[in-house]
Amino acid sequence: MKNILEIKDLTVGFCENTGWHQVLNKISFDIGEGEIVGIVGESGSGKSMTALTIMHLLAENAVIKEGEILFDGQDLLKCGDDRMRCVQGNDISMIFQEPMTSLNPVQKIGTQIGEALRLHTNLNNDEIQKRVIESMENVGLPKPAELAGKYPYQLSGGMRQRVMIAMASICSPKLLIADEPTTALDVTVQMQILKLLRRFHDETGTSILFISHDLNVVRALCDRVIVMYRGDIVETGDAVEVLRHPKHDYTKTLVAAIPKNTNVPVEKNPVVSVKNLNVYYNEGRHLFSASKKKKHVIKNISFDIYDGEILGVVGESGCGKSTLGKTLTGLNRDYTGEITMACKRPQMVFQDPFGSLNPAKKLGWIMEEPLKLSGIRDKKSRIAMVDQMLCQIGLDESYKNRYAHELSGGQRQRVSIGLALLAGTKFIVADEPVSALDVTVQSQILDLILDIHQKQNVTMMFISHDLNVVRGICHRVIVMYLGEIVEVAEVHEIYEHPRHPYTQLLLKAILNGDGRVPAGTKNSGKTTEEVNNEGCAYYPRCPYHSDECLFHRPEMKNAGTDKNPHLVKCYHMLTVD
Amino acid sequence: MKVKKKHNYNLIIGCVLTGILLLMAIIGQFWTPYGETEMNAAAKNMGPSLAHLMGTDNFGRDIFSRVMIGSGNTFLVALCTVAIGAVFGTIIGALTGYFGGWIDEVIMRINDVILSFPSILLALIFISLLGGGTYNIILALGVLFIPSFARIVRSEMIRCRDLDFVRSAKVMGAKSFRIIFVHILPNTWVSMLTAAMIGFNNAVLAEASMSYLGLGVQPPQASLGRMLSEAQSYLFNAPWYAIAPGIVIILIILGFSMISEGLRKIS
Repeated sequence: MKNILEIKDLTVGFCENTGWHQVLNKISFDIGEGEIVGIVGESGSGKSMTALTIMHLLAENAVIKEGEILFDGQDLLKCGDDRMRCVQGNDISMIFQEPMTSLNPVQKIGTQIGEALRLHTNLNNDEIQKRVIESMENVGLPKPAELAGKYPYQLSGGMRQRVMIAMASICSPKLLIADEPTTALDVTVQMQILKLLRRFHDETGTSILFISHDLNVVRALCDRVIVMYRGDIVETGDAVEVLRHPKHDYTKTLVAAIPKNTNVPVEKNPVVSVKNLNVYYNEGRHLFSASKKKKHVIKNISFDIYDGEILGVVGESGCGKSTLGKTLTGLNRDYTGEITMACKRPQMVFQDPFGSLNPAKKLGWIMEEPLKLSGIRDKKSRIAMVDQMLCQIGLDESYKNRYAHELSGGQRQRVSIGLALLAGTKFIVADEPVSALDVTVQSQILDLILDIHQKQNVTMMFISHDLNVVRGICHRVIVMYLGEIVEVAEVHEIYEHPRHPYTQLLLKAILNGDGRVPAGTKNSGKTTEEVNNEGCAYYPRCPYHSDECLFHRPEMKNAGTDKNPHLVKCYHMLTVD
Repeated sequence: MKVKKKHNYNLIIGCVLTGILLLMAIIGQFWTPYGETEMNAAAKNMGPSLAHLMGTDNFGRDIFSRVMIGSGNTFLVALCTVAIGAVFGTIIGALTGYFGGWIDEVIMRINDVILSFPSILLALIFISLLGGGTYNIILALGVLFIPSFARIVRSEMIRCRDLDFVRSAKVMGAKSFRIIFVHILPNTWVSMLTAAMIGFNNAVLAEASMSYLGLGVQPPQASLGRMLSEAQSYLFNAPWYAIAPGIVIILIILGFSMISEGLRKIS
């Protein structure tokens, strides 16, 4: 196999106030023609830096100290800007992580996709238009002619990422660099994009350099994997083989499974009981706006949370799972229905570890706050409690004098958990507490959560889009779709015998084990049809729908036993194939 | 490949400059080479010399002594003005920004109205209602400075009020006032400080222009603006009379501008 890209002894670093800071230490690897190579590693490992170096997109203060990047036998590092411009977008193209910011918001989709052709070919406008429509069809965008005249904000995240792929592939590049292309997407959409990349690769034979922190995605898509750690390549080899039998210590911790919750709650004694909860959001809060628009975010849901359990809430973004968490913790007062709690005010652990701690205060002050608020007057005993908590969450007393920005994401999340405990609660709502963290840190935080759950008998609601994590640590799972609960059951029951078509779709999108992503069909991007308010919310996407579903909303029914209920909201109540 | 740490020259120079001027003004309150109103008919309109560093004016008064005292008055007015503006502006901005709703809309529209007039014009109206004098100037300018501070604090409040650390404080059971003044307000101090520095400059200029128009500090008391206006008639035979207070005003403003620029770089 001929190599399309060879990187030899590449060393890159930054000149900073504090001195020389090296981010890539003499890395060497190559990509064969028609190969999909994955780079995995945690944030700061240098994986994105590698891609940026290849594309000549490094920041101004970055310095390439030594090494060469041979693309088709030509050293890209020695290329002038003019030569490089011919390579960029034409021979090598790139897909970025954030579909929100990587498209120009004031240009029409069609213009942006055609840009590369305009720069690299002599085609006239009509031909460009034709090629644009073709490439949009290829990536499964519905009604391409109409869509080409739209602006990025009119598209969903998944559609934008398809547009990015159309843009990147229109010049039939020899190498496609994809930097975390699915990280910002829902699992179901992620699956579609991966299938699309696979099909694109199979049809054109383009080599792909796929950068991701998600091992499961890399295993499912790539032929070969490169594991990076702090600017070094620590392991490389066949993707499935390396991730199944890692040799290097770092890869081993990376691959280490999500911690398993072994503690089973015995009694089913409801701590929190929710009945007929409806939540609305005000839209257009303005003095002179005539009508007060309200958006119905959570639609008539009822459930219990039992003492000492971890209840998982899963669903795509926008399904109302975060709103549910906020409503339970009292951050959202605009609701109807009944929430009864048999415990002190619930606490919340937030997703973004960078926003959840006050940037202007030291940790000691931040952690004393819940104690002050619960009326502990004595400063000495407050400090003693903070010290004790810091140890319990795996930090030490010296952290009291630090500011939040001096901590890593994982440490901040530890502090957030500590804060919730200091407030003296027995019920914590955790809203995606680990999804902003690196894989290795993720498992440490999950360990801490399980540890606290077991030792202090804390009941938890664990909101997450990561189905692997939920499977590992939750006892029961609620599946939400567009503000409704569509399925509730014990965790093994729901993962082994999903009854609702939506749950089945979600579970099919999980990447674990050794399954490989199949190539998608040409029209896998679905259009949303008109939803009938009376009918089942899932009707437009459901492969099993009937007329009954369109006109009558299904009721919640028990498909399990009385002792272990398995509630499903579907007329079909599919049995597993 | 080591890079030298960049110094924040703006901040250093600004602080030194302001420090010297402030020191001069403070000393001027207790000791000056000559009395503030001490006239000397034998030494009228004399150019700068060792005896009179900045020369003398048409009454033979020492300009250097009068600049020392005058800049003290200017500093006093500017400081009090900014203090009034900052304190009330912060309270109004914090409350309206955090709670929002129709009160916020109403107060912000009033703010807009005040901001849409040239502040010197409004100050003139105030003074003509209240009468001149140092304390009335402080009051008039202080009130006029409230809207700009309110605006800054309000936008910071709006930025912070939906952040997770505020939510977290709410969940812990902190009351609104505690969240506003203990949790959020410390996060606004950098932009507040910059605003205060710019406000200070505006106050110095406003005081000088008011005194220039004869509405501020009353003669024979010294004030930088007052001196400028008196110097007008002697611009050709005693140019130093205008230059001295003019340069001091420029230096005060330069110092504060550099400090605010330096602070912006830190944040």
